[in-house]
Amino acid sequence: MKALRFGQTAAVIAAGALALTACGGSSTGATSSSPVASSAAADYGSLSGTITAGGSSAQANAQAAWSAGFKAQAAKVAVNYDKSQGSGGGVTNFTAGSYDFAGSDAYLSVDQATKAQAVCGIGGAVNLPVYLDGVSIVFNLKGVDKLQLSAETLAKIFTQQIKTWDDAALKADNPGVTLPSTTITTVTRSDGSGTTQNFTNYLHQMAPAVWTTPVSNKWPVAGSSAQQGGSGVVNTVKAGDGTIGYADHSAIGDLSAAAIKAGDKYVSFSQDGVTKAVATAVTPAKSGVAGDLSQDIDYTKLTTGDAYPIPLISYDILCTTFKDAAQAKLATAYIGYVVSDQGQKIAAKNAGSAPLPSALAEKIRETLKTVS
Amino acid sequence: MKRKRDVSTSSAVVPARRVTARARPADRVFKFLSTSAAVSIMVILAGVALFLIIRALPAIGANWTTNPDLKTGVTGGFSGFWSYVGPLAFGTVWASVLALLMATPVAIGIALFISHYSPRKMANFLGYIIDLLAAVPSVVYGLWGIMVMRPFLLPLQEWLNAYLGWIPFFSGSVTSTGSSILTGAVVLAVMVLPIITSISREIFLQTPKLHEEAALALGSTRWEMIRLAVFPYGRSGVVSAILLGLGRALGETMAVAMIISPAIVVSFRLITEGENPQTIASNIALNFPIATGLQRDALIGTGLVLFVISLAVNMVARLIVNAKPRRKKVRDAGNPRGSDPGRGDGVSAADAEDDEMLSPLAAHRQERLGDDGYDGADGADGDVAAARTAVSAGFGAGLDKRAEGDQP
Repeated sequence: MKALRFGQTAAVIAAGALALTACGGSSTGATSSSPVASSAAADYGSLSGTITAGGSSAQANAQAAWSAGFKAQAAKVAVNYDKSQGSGGGVTNFTAGSYDFAGSDAYLSVDQATKAQAVCGIGGAVNLPVYLDGVSIVFNLKGVDKLQLSAETLAKIFTQQIKTWDDAALKADNPGVTLPSTTITTVTRSDGSGTTQNFTNYLHQMAPAVWTTPVSNKWPVAGSSAQQGGSGVVNTVKAGDGTIGYADHSAIGDLSAAAIKAGDKYVSFSQDGVTKAVATAVTPAKSGVAGDLSQDIDYTKLTTGDAYPIPLISYDILCTTFKDAAQAKLATAYIGYVVSDQGQKIAAKNAGSAPLPSALAEKIRETLKTVS
Repeated sequence: MKRKRDVSTSSAVVPARRVTARARPADRVFKFLSTSAAVSIMVILAGVALFLIIRALPAIGANWTTNPDLKTGVTGGFSGFWSYVGPLAFGTVWASVLALLMATPVAIGIALFISHYSPRKMANFLGYIIDLLAAVPSVVYGLWGIMVMRPFLLPLQEWLNAYLGWIPFFSGSVTSTGSSILTGAVVLAVMVLPIITSISREIFLQTPKLHEEAALALGSTRWEMIRLAVFPYGRSGVVSAILLGLGRALGETMAVAMIISPAIVVSFRLITEGENPQTIASNIALNFPIATGLQRDALIGTGLVLFVISLAVNMVARLIVNAKPRRKKVRDAGNPRGSDPGRGDGVSAADAEDDEMLSPLAAHRQERLGDDGYDGADGADGDVAAARTAVSAGFGAGLDKRAEGDQP
C-alpha cells in the first residue's frame, strides 16, 4: 500500500516534470490538456502488464520516447515496440494476432483489413494517425544553401528529365540564385519505405503530367543512386556534390532542405507547418470501420503558404475489440498517452515529429473510448 | 576415411580396434551423442529447404500481373517470379565473381608469402592478422565501404570512365557518389580474402618437403620450385578454397546492401550509379520489412534460389577436392624433377609400403615447420587426405591434432 502510494506520487512528480520540460520547448498545437494529462496519470498508475507492438521504423524514435514517458507514469507497464519489423512486418504480425498494435506508414489496405477481421472479429481494426512528420528534399550543392522547388520541377528532377543544376526550370524557381552546371544525382531509397510512398504520392498528385509511375513504397524510377534507409540517403547526399534526395525531416541532420512550392509561395519545413498541413488537407479514407481515422491527403489544398506541402502520416493500428479486456485497457491507455499533448510534445522534442492537430487528437481519443 | 585404410592394410591395428569397439556405456553415450549431432544437421538443412519451398511455392505459382499483393510495391512491375529472380541471381553471381577476381591473386600471394617466403615469426603474425579479418562483422565493412572506400575509389572510377569508357564494363554515366558495384566488389573481395588465404596457406604448407627440396636440388629458383612443386600439389585445394570464398560472397548481405546502389537489372557495367545489379541476399534484407503477404513469399522464393546456388557451389567445391585424377597429376608433376623425389630418399620403411597407406611418420611431417630436417616419407595420398581435411575444416587448425591422433 505504501509502495503503491509512493509510486503514484512519483508518477505525478514525473508527469509534472515532463510537462514542465515540454512546456519549455515550443508552444505548438496547444490544446486544453493539462487536466486530461493529470487525471490520466492517476489512471495509469494502476495498470500493469506488457504491451507488445512493432512496425514502422519511422515511428521508432517517437515510440522510444513515448514508452519511456509512459513508463514514468505507469511503472508496471512495459512497452515493447519492435522497429526492426518495418511497416510490412508490423501489419503482418498484427494480422497474425501477435501484436497489441502495429505501427505502419500506411493505413490497412482492403485486403489487410479483411485479414485483420480474422483477429479482431467483425469490428475490424482502426487506423489511428499518431505520428506526423514531413518529407524533406535534401540537397548538397557547392555554393548553394537555399533552394526553392515546385512540384513540377521536383518531378522532373526525380524522373531525371532535368539533368543539370542550371536547368531553366530550376532557374525559374530560384530567381537571383547562381546555379552551377553540376550534374544532378538523385538519391533515393533502395529499401521499401513509407517515406517513398508518401513522396511518390505527392508527385503523383501534384505533377501528374511528369510523374506517370504509380504510387509505390518501392522507388519506381531507374537510374538513381539507391541507398539503404533514411540515413543512407542522408549520408550519400552529404558525401556527394550535386546530389538531391528525400528523407523524413527528423532524420536529415544538418543538411539543407529545399523550400517547396505550395500555391504561389515556397514553404520551408517546420513542425507547425506539418501540423497545419494535416489539419487542412486530410480527408477521411473510407474504410467502413466505425471510428477509423485513415486519412487521405489532398495536396492541392495546401496553398495557404504556412502549411508544409509534403506531410507524412504514420499510423498505429489496433483492434476495435481485443480478445483480452485487460490488454485493451493497456493499449488504449498507451495510445491515449501517445496522442495526449504531453505525448506529442515529447515526440516532437525527442524524435523531431510534428504535433497532431488538436481536432484530430480529439477524434482519436473518441475512437479509443470505443475500443474494448 | 583413413582409418579404413589402416584396417585394410595393417592387420596389427584390427584387434586393437575391436577391443575399443566392444561397447562400454561411455562409448555408447558418446556414439549416440555424435550420431545425433550428425543427424541433427541433416534435419536442420532439410527443415530449412522445406520451409523455403513451402513458403515460396504460392509466389512462384501466382500471377504476378494481376495479384493485388505482387503487382505493387517491392515486387511491382515484374511479369512473374522468374523474371524477378533472374536479374537478382545474375547480380548475386556477378558481384561475387568480381570480388573473387580481385581477391584470388592477392589471397594466393599472401598464402605463398606466409608458407614459403616470410620468416616464421612473421608468418604466424600474418596468419593471425588474416584470421582477424574474417572476424570483422560485415556491417563494419559496410560502414567502411560507405565512409572510406566510396570516396577513395571515386577518382579511379571517373578516370576509368573518361579514358577507358570505350570498354563496355566502364561505359555508362559514371557514378558521382562512388556507390557502384565496383566499390561493392572491392569490399566484398576484402571480406573473402581471409577464407581463401587461410585455406590456401594450409594447402601450401602440406606440400611434401621432399618435392620442394628435389626441385631446389635440381637448380630451381624459389619461384620455379613453387611452380613445379607447390602449385601442382595444391591446385585442387586452392580451387576449393576459391569456391568456399565464392560461397561466402554469394550470401553476403549487409555490406552489399549498404554500399551498392542497386537496381533489378542485368548489366555488366561496373561504375554506374543506377545500373548495378542487385544481389538476392541484400534484396531480401532491404525489402522484407515492408513486404506484405505474397511479397514476402516472393522474397523467400528468391532465398530458395540463393540456397540452390550456394548448394551447387559447395557441391562443385567438394567434387573438385574429391576428384580422383588429382593424384596422378601430383606424380606427373613430381617426376620431371628427377628420380621420384617423393620416395628416393626413403628414410623409413614406410616407403616400401603401399601408397595407399599413410605412414605413421607422416604425422611428424605435420610439424615440419618446426623441424630442420624432414622425417617425412609419405605417398601422395596421405597428403590428399590431409588436404581434404584442411579444406573441410575450413581453417586448418585441426591438422596437427589429427595427425597426432593417428600415431600408433
